[in-house]
Amino acid sequence: MLDAFSRAAVSADAKTACIGAGEIASLKQYIAKANTRLDAVNAITSNANCIVSDAVAGMICENTGLIQAGGNCYPNRRMAACLRDGEIILRYIAYALLAGDPSVLDDRCLNGLKETYIALGVPLTSQARAVAIMKASSLAHINETNTETQMAESNQMLQQRYNKMATVKGDCSMVSAEAASYFDRVISALG
Amino acid sequence: MKSVVTTVVTAADAAGRMPSASDLESVQGSIQRASARLEAAEKLAAGFDAVVKEAGDACFSKYPYLKQAGEAGDNQGKVDKCYRDIGHYMRLINYCLVVGGTGPLDEWGIAGAREVYRTLNIPTAPYVAAFAQARDRGCSPRDMSPQALAEYNSLLSYVIESLS
Repeated sequence: MLDAFSRAAVSADAKTACIGAGEIASLKQYIAKANTRLDAVNAITSNANCIVSDAVAGMICENTGLIQAGGNCYPNRRMAACLRDGEIILRYIAYALLAGDPSVLDDRCLNGLKETYIALGVPLTSQARAVAIMKASSLAHINETNTETQMAESNQMLQQRYNKMATVKGDCSMVSAEAASYFDRVISALG
Repeated sequence: MKSVVTTVVTAADAAGRMPSASDLESVQGSIQRASARLEAAEKLAAGFDAVVKEAGDACFSKYPYLKQAGEAGDNQGKVDKCYRDIGHYMRLINYCLVVGGTGPLDEWGIAGAREVYRTLNIPTAPYVAAFAQARDRGCSPRDMSPQALAEYNSLLSYVIESLS
């Protein structure tokens, strides 16, 4: 498993070269944006249950056959397995976002995932759809554009009811683009 | 590759939980020292050839017998390899400064080194002399800031310990 820093070491070692000013400049970017990154990871982990259950519910709303007899989410046991898998995928995405490198996601989650799902008869398109919803809601939580936050902003009374991350507003474009790339990685691994 | 972030992620994964607040705190803690480490790595990379040459010169001036016939540095090819090895260690120190742990040195430099040196009948004391010279030579603020120099010197000490 690698992070942004050890990735630089491994690729420099392949060339038998020192890590020079160019690579170090991009790592300084990671450090300068570290607090934003940690807030983004916190936004995902603090809302993980909500993100996962919304995504699975959304997936089923769009395809109600899943919870009818014979569907892949039909007995509670299989529905629970689906929720668990959603959480596992989200957890590895959170690790990758923390590390700033997708190797942990690739090695420990995506490697063989598609083959496992095919062998178990899990519909890949439904799973990919759930990941796509998780992507949308995770990015909303990172950027605080989720519905709850927006409603709370317009209504003081609602602020107490909704879970608002009390972070300082800043530029999250880089870290949210990076998070989006990890979700896309999962979706393309399932495709 | 062992670093603060990968250690945190490995522990969280073994427990099957999301990164917790304390995990994020320890990543934050390592980030705070990172700018000094990166400064040291950058300065070392900039003066790399000079550092390696000076360290290599120090080992041959302390142990001139190495260049006598039958010793480990009795022809130019062997001498060049000594400088090359010192360069390898310095390069790994550069990686360790970036990674923020001793992972690169442990995995690519130290593991198996003792066995290799014994098999090839190479003395390790000259290497120690070379890295001790590099450690004594560093000067703050001429070369780098005090904190950066401390990080650099601690890795040199780590290499010296492993060769002693």
